[in-house]
Amino acid sequence: MLSIALSELIQIFRNRLVLVTSLVMPVAVSTYFVYQHEVFADLASLGYIAAIVMFTVGAFGLYATTVTTLASRRQNLFLKRLRSTAESDTGIISGLLLPITVISLIQVVVILIVLSAVAGSPDNVLLLAVAVLAMVAMMLGLGLATAGLTNSPEHAQVTTLPVSLGVIAVASWVGIAGTEDLATLKRLLPGGAATELVVNAWNGGVALGDSLLLLAPTLSWVVVAVALAGRMFRWEPRR
Amino acid sequence: MSTTPVIEVENLNVRYGDFHAVKDLSFQVRRGELYALLGTNGAGKTSTLEVVEGHRPASSGTVRVFGQSPDDRGAVRPRMGIMLQESGFSPDLTVRESVRLIGRLTRRADDVGRVLDVAGLTRKAGTKVSQLSGGEKRRLDFATAIYGAPELVFLDEPTTGLDIQSRDALWASVDKLREEGSTIVLTTHYLEEAQQRADRIGLMHEGTFHREGTVVELTQTLPAVIRFALPDFAPAPPVRTTRAAGGALVVETFSLQQDLRVLLDWAHDHDVELRELQAGPTRLDDVFRAIGEN
Repeated sequence: MLSIALSELIQIFRNRLVLVTSLVMPVAVSTYFVYQHEVFADLASLGYIAAIVMFTVGAFGLYATTVTTLASRRQNLFLKRLRSTAESDTGIISGLLLPITVISLIQVVVILIVLSAVAGSPDNVLLLAVAVLAMVAMMLGLGLATAGLTNSPEHAQVTTLPVSLGVIAVASWVGIAGTEDLATLKRLLPGGAATELVVNAWNGGVALGDSLLLLAPTLSWVVVAVALAGRMFRWEPRR
Repeated sequence: MSTTPVIEVENLNVRYGDFHAVKDLSFQVRRGELYALLGTNGAGKTSTLEVVEGHRPASSGTVRVFGQSPDDRGAVRPRMGIMLQESGFSPDLTVRESVRLIGRLTRRADDVGRVLDVAGLTRKAGTKVSQLSGGEKRRLDFATAIYGAPELVFLDEPTTGLDIQSRDALWASVDKLREEGSTIVLTTHYLEEAQQRADRIGLMHEGTFHREGTVVELTQTLPAVIRFALPDFAPAPPVRTTRAAGGALVVETFSLQQDLRVLLDWAHDHDVELRELQAGPTRLDDVFRAIGEN
């Protein structure tokens, strides 16, 4: 698995398009939110900034790169090549997705550290970490499922849009409007509960038990996404 | 060569929806032999090979490789090398990185430099796969298949796109592997390669074996051919002939040497020139053509 991960890391840094879309773009957008933190804190809260930054990296870095990577490796038969070795399917997928997952996690952590340095620390760091990990698991699961519907890297530019824009929209809706109204709907939408969890972790003022309940919808999305991936994922191009 | 089977296929069936690609196919590949799986287009070779390699499940039937299911990658793959029909390498990795990656994943031990040397890719070691020619990609594929000298090697169209020197080098490497005891499963459209090198051939047509056996066993079922033309007003030859397109006379015979001698003696005695004389044993090409005619 680590051999595959190392080769994948090499490829990410050699492919300028992937490098820009998965690394530079999310960081640039996040930097804008941190730079304008007073404006967005007035509009919503610092917790909203943390959530939108997290989902920007998760959607445009982690999720989009996951789909593009798997579609690309399938299209040029690299997946079939890897399956001609002794490595297991789980090892292959883990190796392919480990670099972008680690990169995304580092990005989120660094950006949130910068946000806390310029705007103040989060109320519950541990809860924030749990929220970040839940978001990563959800976006990876959705990425695997979407890869099953994606024929090529070019096609990924279309197939990733609904989830990418959807979670950003949901994060903004929940982060700005809160969950006083339509709470159930907002929490069941992908990213809704995770956003509320991040807002609670950063802003404080909500009982820990109530916040932890918000993990259930997020982890349910992970289960649904992985189940969909199991049904839809293909190792070879359609003939 | 041992009679111990490395591959055992019994009543294999592969279906794609309503299409029955492989029908009740059974065969064995013995340890140390070069077994060629040949066939017409759409005969089911690739489907058969993919099941045996463990890339695709069988619809029904039993396949054992080294006595185990080919799906058991951890147990079977370290003992087999697979040269795929299509490249399947990442364009952004170099040749050396590609061989190192796939080599490590096979869990066999070898030296990347040695393997590149055997495949004739030493000078291309630092070149990205995207910059390789088609023939160089085939050699890269071959390099990953022979990494660690596996006991069983699948060669799917190994010489397609290779120049003659590269073909000779590849076959020399295969010969060396066989000397070390490796078993080879070959598919190719270059029938002369199969005719020269295969110990046994499975000839597929419409999802099952049309024939299976050694080259001699396959070719002896069809007559050899003597072809020649006669000058005007020449007497009738002493052997039975048919007239082919272009006016040439054709003798189909199961006693090539005897009939050829009769014909040459007759030509000498009558001072007749046998123009454009050709004589040769039955080739696999003829066996293939006979499939189409049947």
